[in-house]
Amino acid sequence: MNFLALADDWQYLLLGTFPDGPPGGALLTLILSSISGLLSAVLGLGLGIALAMARNGLPAQLLRGVLGFLRAIPVLMLIFWIYFLLPVLFGMDVPGLLAVVCALSLISGAYLAHSVAAGIRAIAQGQWDAGTALGMTRWQVLRTLILPQALPMMLPSFINQWVTLIKDSSLAYIVGVGELSFLATQVNARLMINPAEVFLFVGAIYWVLCSLLNLLATFVARRTRAGT
Amino acid sequence: MIDFTDWPQHLLAAKYWHWLLSGWSITILSSLLVVAASTVLGLLFAAARTTPVASVRWAAGLYLSAFRDTPLLVQLFFWYFAMPGLLPQDWTAWLNSPHSLSVGPLTLAWPSFEFVAALVGLVLYSTAYVGEEIRAGLGSVPHSQIQAAESLGMTPRQVLRYVVLPQALARIVSPLFGQYMNIVKNTSLSMTIGLVELSYRARQVEAETFQPFQVYGITTLLYIVLIIGLEMLNQHLQDRRQWGHTRMGRA
Repeated sequence: MNFLALADDWQYLLLGTFPDGPPGGALLTLILSSISGLLSAVLGLGLGIALAMARNGLPAQLLRGVLGFLRAIPVLMLIFWIYFLLPVLFGMDVPGLLAVVCALSLISGAYLAHSVAAGIRAIAQGQWDAGTALGMTRWQVLRTLILPQALPMMLPSFINQWVTLIKDSSLAYIVGVGELSFLATQVNARLMINPAEVFLFVGAIYWVLCSLLNLLATFVARRTRAGT
Repeated sequence: MIDFTDWPQHLLAAKYWHWLLSGWSITILSSLLVVAASTVLGLLFAAARTTPVASVRWAAGLYLSAFRDTPLLVQLFFWYFAMPGLLPQDWTAWLNSPHSLSVGPLTLAWPSFEFVAALVGLVLYSTAYVGEEIRAGLGSVPHSQIQAAESLGMTPRQVLRYVVLPQALARIVSPLFGQYMNIVKNTSLSMTIGLVELSYRARQVEAETFQPFQVYGITTLLYIVLIIGLEMLNQHLQDRRQWGHTRMGRA
């Protein structure tokens, strides 16, 4: 192992050509994951609440069907769908970055929706009854009684999903977005004789990002437990 | 008049159906191999994570962190690009040259290097996940039950057979099948190192036919068929399990 071979390239892997050019490498991975993470949280919360509050009917079944579909297909397939089909359907070019953000937000949102719905259902029925007995509407009970209790419990599953999201952001490679994995293959092709060093270094960067989030999850879980 | 018996040809030319289905068969084959290998290794991994020997436990924890907190894509690249350099040179030459194994009338061709690298990557990655589900299932049986069984004079073997496994298996099946579904989906990543499986074929057919809607539609359905198949098998096993009934908490 000769990590000195990366002396000229490690900065490129971390930042791309930033600040002279657009952000790339690990920086773009971070940006990509943060945007998708935020969107997936919003989507997951919205759909999860809809899933838990919906009375059995056609809309609820449709929602379950869509969420099931998103969880059943590989992330790669969804990226293909968005990347190759949107231009055909709408006659506009979709940048790779946008396609990946959409795909990651949708899939992570679908997984989170199930965690959110499960979290809401885990709150005892008595709480609902108590709220309704006070004359609150279902939505008022949800907002003032259920969510404040359920959300802290859900936080660890959100963080776990974000760890998966950071890892899945590497799939942006397939549509040529210059994030960490894409730059890694570029650097690897240029150096030619140091594949082990390149991919161990890149793997280590991902590992640091994911481990930090995991630490946060442990910390949050401990605080939630201490708080109740 | 439209002949309804050859609707597949109207959708996509026969040649390309053939490509997609051959890709599907590689996806199925590699999924089966990865499921089998990662289940066996996952059992060992679960044992290593709970052994009283501290150094083994520590090593297993390190493995978990290394393989679960890095992207599968980067791991596949590592095995594909870096493995040849890390192995002795004549091994690499052997791996890259065609071989066949003859057992009686059966001849098994040695798979391509892409196939070997994809399999190694997928198995090592999946072992961490499958192993953790097995460990969680075995760990879900309260320790007091094991102590109670031991105090009744049961041998460790009997404790495992009559107390731990009946409850643990019932809880393991569902999460385990969840991981198997992930394995099927994850095989799609091996297209990036050139394994000619379903996603690779989809890209290839799309590039030749310019019919993305048909191609990705069919490919997506083929993936969904596999996932639904696994889900049905899971339900079937849950419904008629012979290993005892436990009240499942929140699954």
